[in-house]
Amino acid sequence: MQIALWQIVALTLYAFLAINDIIHADVGLNRPLFAGFFAGLVMGDIGLGLAIGATLQLMVLGVGTYGGASMPDFMSAALIGTALSVIANEGMEFGIGLAVPVGMLLIQLDVFARFINTFIQHRADTYAKRCEIKKIERIHLLGLLTWGLSRALPVAICLIFGNEITQTLINIMPEWLMSGLKVAGGLLPAVGIAILLRYLPTKKYIAYMLLGFLLAAYLEIPMLGVAIAGVAFAVLVFERSGKQAAASGSLVNEGGMDEDE
Amino acid sequence: MSDKITAKDLRKVRYRWLFFGEASWNYEKMQGLGYCYSMIPVLKKLYPDKEDMKVALKTHTQFYNCHQEFTEIILGVDVAMEEKNGIKSMEAVSAVKTGLMGPLAGIGDTLFGVIANTIIFSIGSYMALQGNPLGILINLIWAAFRIVLRGWFIKAGYREGTKIVTSMGVAINRITEAASVLGLTVVGALIPTVVRANIPLVFESGEVTMELQGVIDQVMPALIPVLLVALVYWLLGRKKMSSSKAILIVIAISLVLGGFGILG
Repeated sequence: MQIALWQIVALTLYAFLAINDIIHADVGLNRPLFAGFFAGLVMGDIGLGLAIGATLQLMVLGVGTYGGASMPDFMSAALIGTALSVIANEGMEFGIGLAVPVGMLLIQLDVFARFINTFIQHRADTYAKRCEIKKIERIHLLGLLTWGLSRALPVAICLIFGNEITQTLINIMPEWLMSGLKVAGGLLPAVGIAILLRYLPTKKYIAYMLLGFLLAAYLEIPMLGVAIAGVAFAVLVFERSGKQAAASGSLVNEGGMDEDE
Repeated sequence: MSDKITAKDLRKVRYRWLFFGEASWNYEKMQGLGYCYSMIPVLKKLYPDKEDMKVALKTHTQFYNCHQEFTEIILGVDVAMEEKNGIKSMEAVSAVKTGLMGPLAGIGDTLFGVIANTIIFSIGSYMALQGNPLGILINLIWAAFRIVLRGWFIKAGYREGTKIVTSMGVAINRITEAASVLGLTVVGALIPTVVRANIPLVFESGEVTMELQGVIDQVMPALIPVLLVALVYWLLGRKKMSSSKAILIVIAISLVLGGFGILG
């Protein structure tokens, strides 16, 4: 199908808002899962958008821009991947195969936006010396534009040339590449999981990971059920650490009398 | 306590930071300008004198970077200090800002950035892969809670001053530990449910056909996903390995195995 103008506008505006959301109130617009859902809604295939968004989301579960590091822009990638899959009338493999490299290329624009904002900071430093408060406020807010455009521009360009891009891709994509991308869609969440295990205290609490695996793989309990078990484990750990804190406190006091604490 | 700063002023600072704080994030001073922008309503009230104002603006445009959702605590502490001691507090304010931003960033990134996102988006993505968009709703509830919490942070910081960090410290450590346990339980369940690797190979010898996948499943369900996660985990521990490189390696493996029809 052909992409309509309103669809391009809606997705571009979404990209502009989403990046400004995650660095502020963070209601979730910049998460690939949301972006995929929204693109699916706009393009008329929610299931496809959710599948693409969720797969990209699983690759960056616990990854954040801590300390100003850049991460793959899978929000824009989810928008582009979903829209172009619908245009091309292809499945989620096509969308993910497209979205992953796009998301990784877009890291450069994140770096660029943060760099451009350095000029804003310099202007503001000058205004601060002259005590021009209104100008400081205005130039600070100009940064919303830098951030927004760093996402909105690539999305708009990819969608405007969407028909041409997808035609070319379909023409040059061999069969083995498509089946390989399909496999990649299934395997890539493993990367996100492994990254998480590096961040979490995996070695200390590996028992709980094994329990989670057992519940899902052998007992086939759905994810929400496993999460309830996880909450139960968490409550137990929380209570135990409370008792430990109380116990070490009473050791310091050399009392043992304050049992009711 | 003077009554110069009202609840309304505090709210102005809060909403500036909540909606526009990181607009000018840059490599040189990171959130420095955004911090200053958020403090301006209070600065205007406290420093009618232009020379004082210049000093205050200079102090607050310095380097600053912290977790966005724990910055409210620092803003609250800062407002209380400046309200009490005015422009004389500037050195102390700088020290408190730089002293608190590191530890609070650590807590915020771990608790909210890694653990909470893991739990919420694991469940959300799992549901989405089954065609159910309700996971989005779970995150919206969590987001609303965080916005309310940030309002509480700035008030608590303002009321309790620097001692808030010691009083919160023990409780936050315990919460982080407990939340890690929940996170790891969910991640353990994630491996067999969202990583998909099917082996379509079938061996035939005479009348007997043997599906390789069935044999592997008898050893252990989700054996290939487990091995793959273990492999990437090991890779990520190596020097010069980044998550982007790991993604490319997994794509390369997929193209080879998928291209030859070993996985499908």
